[in-house]
Amino acid sequence: MLDPRDLVDTDNWLISRKLFFDREVYEQELENIFARCWLYLGHESQIANPGDFISAYMGEDPVLVVRDSRGKVGAFLNTCRHRGMRVCRADAGNAAAFTCTYHGWTYGNDGKLVGVPGYKEYYYEELDMEQWGLVPVAQVESYKGLIFGTFDASAPPLREYLGDITFYLDKILDRCEGGTEIIGGVHKWTMPCNWKFPSENFLGDSYHFTVTHISAMKAQSSNMPSNIAAVRGQGFSTSPGNGHGIMIDWPNDASRPILGPPLMQQYNADIAEEMEQRLGPERANMRYSAGNVFPNVSFHVSPSIRIWHPRGPDKIEIWSWCIVDKAAPPEVKEAMRINYLRTFSAAGTFEQDDGENWSQCTESSRGIIAQRYNLNYSLGQHQERTSEEFPGQIGPRVSEHNQRYFYGRWVDLMAGTSWAEITNTITK
Amino acid sequence: MPSEAIEREVEKFLFKEARLLDDWKFHEWLELFTEDVHYWMPVRTTRYSRESKAIAVLDRAHQRVDELANEDELAIFDETKQTLNMRVARLDTGQAWAEDPKSRTRHCITNIEVEEGDNANEVQVFNNFITYRNRLETEVDIFVGRREDTLRKEDGDWKICRRKIILDQNVLLSKNMSIFL
Ligand code: FES
Ligand SMILES: [Fe+2]
Repeated sequence: MLDPRDLVDTDNWLISRKLFFDREVYEQELENIFARCWLYLGHESQIANPGDFISAYMGEDPVLVVRDSRGKVGAFLNTCRHRGMRVCRADAGNAAAFTCTYHGWTYGNDGKLVGVPGYKEYYYEELDMEQWGLVPVAQVESYKGLIFGTFDASAPPLREYLGDITFYLDKILDRCEGGTEIIGGVHKWTMPCNWKFPSENFLGDSYHFTVTHISAMKAQSSNMPSNIAAVRGQGFSTSPGNGHGIMIDWPNDASRPILGPPLMQQYNADIAEEMEQRLGPERANMRYSAGNVFPNVSFHVSPSIRIWHPRGPDKIEIWSWCIVDKAAPPEVKEAMRINYLRTFSAAGTFEQDDGENWSQCTESSRGIIAQRYNLNYSLGQHQERTSEEFPGQIGPRVSEHNQRYFYGRWVDLMAGTSWAEITNTITK
Repeated sequence: MPSEAIEREVEKFLFKEARLLDDWKFHEWLELFTEDVHYWMPVRTTRYSRESKAIAVLDRAHQRVDELANEDELAIFDETKQTLNMRVARLDTGQAWAEDPKSRTRHCITNIEVEEGDNANEVQVFNNFITYRNRLETEVDIFVGRREDTLRKEDGDWKICRRKIILDQNVLLSKNMSIFL
């Protein structure tokens, strides 16, 4: 097993390029990170009715997320227990049962094996059907509409795993009565990059914005404050524990112009009072830009939520959704849908330029000479503080503060540290 | 049925459009669209057919079989004239890194069918595309699909007032969609 401490120098914040292309590192990540952490599966609104299902992935493993006939949400490895055929090949639908199209084993929407062709004639009733249901995801839980799962039965409960990032997530998930819902459809696309580059970018990279996205900002100038400092805000980065992080543009001025149409701006004003009642003044007045729940689920004010699915050391598949307040008026939802897809989907005017960076960062890490030169994660080191109002270790808005906590957690997990012993857990 | 002369006009129009895109003449390309254009490429979802026996449906009311997203759902492009202009303005900045260096594209347009439109000055045009994109050293993407265009005669010129692009991919097999289809 690789010792991750050989790859991440947490004193000087230098990180080996091996993290971003090496097969051995990647295999260990699948085992120590993706098979252990809570991973995002989907939103409850996508499977609102009994029988509704969606296909998902946990790391590279396909899973089926189903609301069973009694209304309970479950998740199962999407592979037949007989010879391994994929049990469900559709992205979404509604089913009481799934029939494997190889030899016909049939599984109920609760994962139980309910039918085996030739059970008497060919198996002579010697197969214990109870034992051969779909492999369940060890733990499945929701946090305010977001369904997560983990294959580690010993992982702490979801609420504990999320820790204080929920303080910030609530700004998205719980600011209105009724919570959130997902607009129909998923943006899925592929990218030749390591999964950590986009995760760390959404987590805490306020530094890139005015260089990478300058063309989109210029072209959209009617919606954007011309002053770049105003875009970047006077906020902070915060790492509220467990490798999660979020960027706050404006800690106490939610009325600042956002990247989006006036209707979205107006809506924020319209719900300000309700938001303050539900969340209190700090969160009502705070404006975030983006964040990441460790390891690979990011959210963005556009408004969207996405997963960076690992597909090898140098490849990912991105799944991204538009998430809106359920109670928002239709025209506001429409404005959000349009704003998100035009800026942060595969054709998004902001998104395109991000992908160019992440793919080239990955590709150029391959060279054996390049590998001798570590990457620099020291931006804004030694500037940490804490706050009375906001949970987490707080760093400057433009810094690599959140990234350092992300890789700190990465080191702990990659070293195989038990959940009880993990040190990077920070609580206010 | 539109006359053969109109069919020929439409064909020439689509070939010219493809050339403008491949030559990076985006401002001229924009002139081929009406002010009220809707340029739309919905996402697709893999679903079982109504007849499929792979699943036993629990609730028909919640079984959906159409692959294409609706207009109020997600799309890769959902553009107006103003946002197409904005996209081109972005390319003009010299800082649109995903297209700097530029993509090398070749738009091949085939299977053109021209039918009557909803209005007298409009025609409905179905056409298939194979668009090859090559970028930097070895990046290659091939986008194949169908377009359903509505062309309108405005001041003697054909213009596109609606384009629905049906890309034959579920997961977009590309790191972005930084070109136009
Ligand atoms: S592989 Fe599924 S029934 Fe044989
Ligand atoms: Fe970005």
